Amino acid sequence: MAATLKHFMPALRMMLAAFFLAAAPAAAQQVTLERDSPLYAEPRLDASQVTQLKLGATGEVVGKQGVWLNLKTAGGSGWLFSFNVRFQSQQAGSGDSGTGSTAGRLFSPRRTVAVTSSIGIRGIEEEDLKQATFNAAQMKLLDGYVATRQAAERGARASGLAPEQVDFMGTK
Amino acid sequence: MTIRCGWLAAVLMSALAGHAGAASFDLGRLFDAGKDVTAAAKSIDETEEIEIGREVAGRTLGAAPLVADPELQAYVNRVGRWIAMQTERPDLPWHFGVLDTASVNAFAAPGGYVLITRGLYDLLDSEAQLAGVLGHEIGHIVQRHHIKVMQQSAAVSAGARLAQRDNRSQLVNNAIGTGAEVLARGLDKDAEFEADRIGVVLAARAGYSPYGLVEVLHRLSARAADDASLALLFKTHPAPGERLTQLGDALAPRVAQLPAGKEPAIREVNPNVPPPVAARPVAAEGARALQQQEPGAAQTSKPAGEGGIDPAGILRGIFGR
Repeated sequence: MAATLKHFMPALRMMLAAFFLAAAPAAAQQVTLERDSPLYAEPRLDASQVTQLKLGATGEVVGKQGVWLNLKTAGGSGWLFSFNVRFQSQQAGSGDSGTGSTAGRLFSPRRTVAVTSSIGIRGIEEEDLKQATFNAAQMKLLDGYVATRQAAERGARASGLAPEQVDFMGTK
Repeated sequence: MTIRCGWLAAVLMSALAGHAGAASFDLGRLFDAGKDVTAAAKSIDETEEIEIGREVAGRTLGAAPLVADPELQAYVNRVGRWIAMQTERPDLPWHFGVLDTASVNAFAAPGGYVLITRGLYDLLDSEAQLAGVLGHEIGHIVQRHHIKVMQQSAAVSAGARLAQRDNRSQLVNNAIGTGAEVLARGLDKDAEFEADRIGVVLAARAGYSPYGLVEVLHRLSARAADDASLALLFKTHPAPGERLTQLGDALAPRVAQLPAGKEPAIREVNPNVPPPVAARPVAAEGARALQQQEPGAAQTSKPAGEGGIDPAGILRGIFGR
């Protein structure tokens, strides 16, 4: 009996490993519909509709494009206007930042930040600001880090950025 | 006229006192109702605005120093300046800094000073997201949101200004009160929604994906939804979910025209720089008690300084509030 068990141990280990690997995608990004919204076949408002999703419906994020989320839902797969969903909360340690998936990196921090740890730490707050006095040494440092227009332009070019003409929306 | 102004001043003073009422108070509508208010804001000139902002920024640095990573600070300044160059005020003395605190927050002070906490920086994972956050703050400065609010305080009323015309530092001191808490004062909801819209547009103008800020709001929304005590943080602020709804409604007609933009990688904080020190660590049982609060019972937040946590304060000031 013991010999049999010993014989099966490697297989058991593999099965366990497979189980945990299979469990890992459960950490994929889940979203809940914030309002009734159409699920589109393509990431465009004028694309054909796959289905109409109801408020409260849930889906799994499998990708994104701009403001659109590629969702897998019970009613089918398609694209949803991202403002119409809310992400289900990230539990500490459940972040899939290690998987390198686009959606995973998108909505979970680079580093695992436990929600409870942010509750447990008080940083700079109203009271601190009220009591704070001018820190000339730090201000001098801040002055030293100022970027010239030329430095900013060089940095932008290095990142492949080029200015675009975009109008403001409803600004007073 | 006199009566209306008096009423206006009274309402604004109560809003400025920093009570929860500040958030629900609709300053934007009042600005629309009284053009004299906008005119008054214009009477703080740019030199004074910069002087006020510098004092506020210096005091904020007194509360939390900069992260000791010169290359990170220089990087954030390049990104910030590039975005600021896409505004109508490209030549303000733009300063950007990352504060060494675990709090999740960002501040805008008048005249071109933008400070983001390391707690928030660590949540970001693309330069487009950083651009969205900085764009929101730059929006407050370009629109002079804080100046408009400050202008309403009794300290900078027309009479006080006349008396202090020749004493600029006194004016600056009066304008910002006894400390940098001007940053902790809530701006009204409309100013926040407006800064969100500006943040999206500025990121797009700078060549980034316009949606970095949207991603950050989604992330904050997910954190806030995690438990009742975190949801409470937004009692005196527009909740990230509400901001997403507002921004979505404004953006929907524009998405087809907005450029796709780029999403460059964000610079990591130098790994040799230790994480921010927890200024006041709170006992684990305290945190648990907060989490276990009944939703109904959680309506009253424990004031800070009683050995407890001020849940409403943890995310206070997010994006310059």
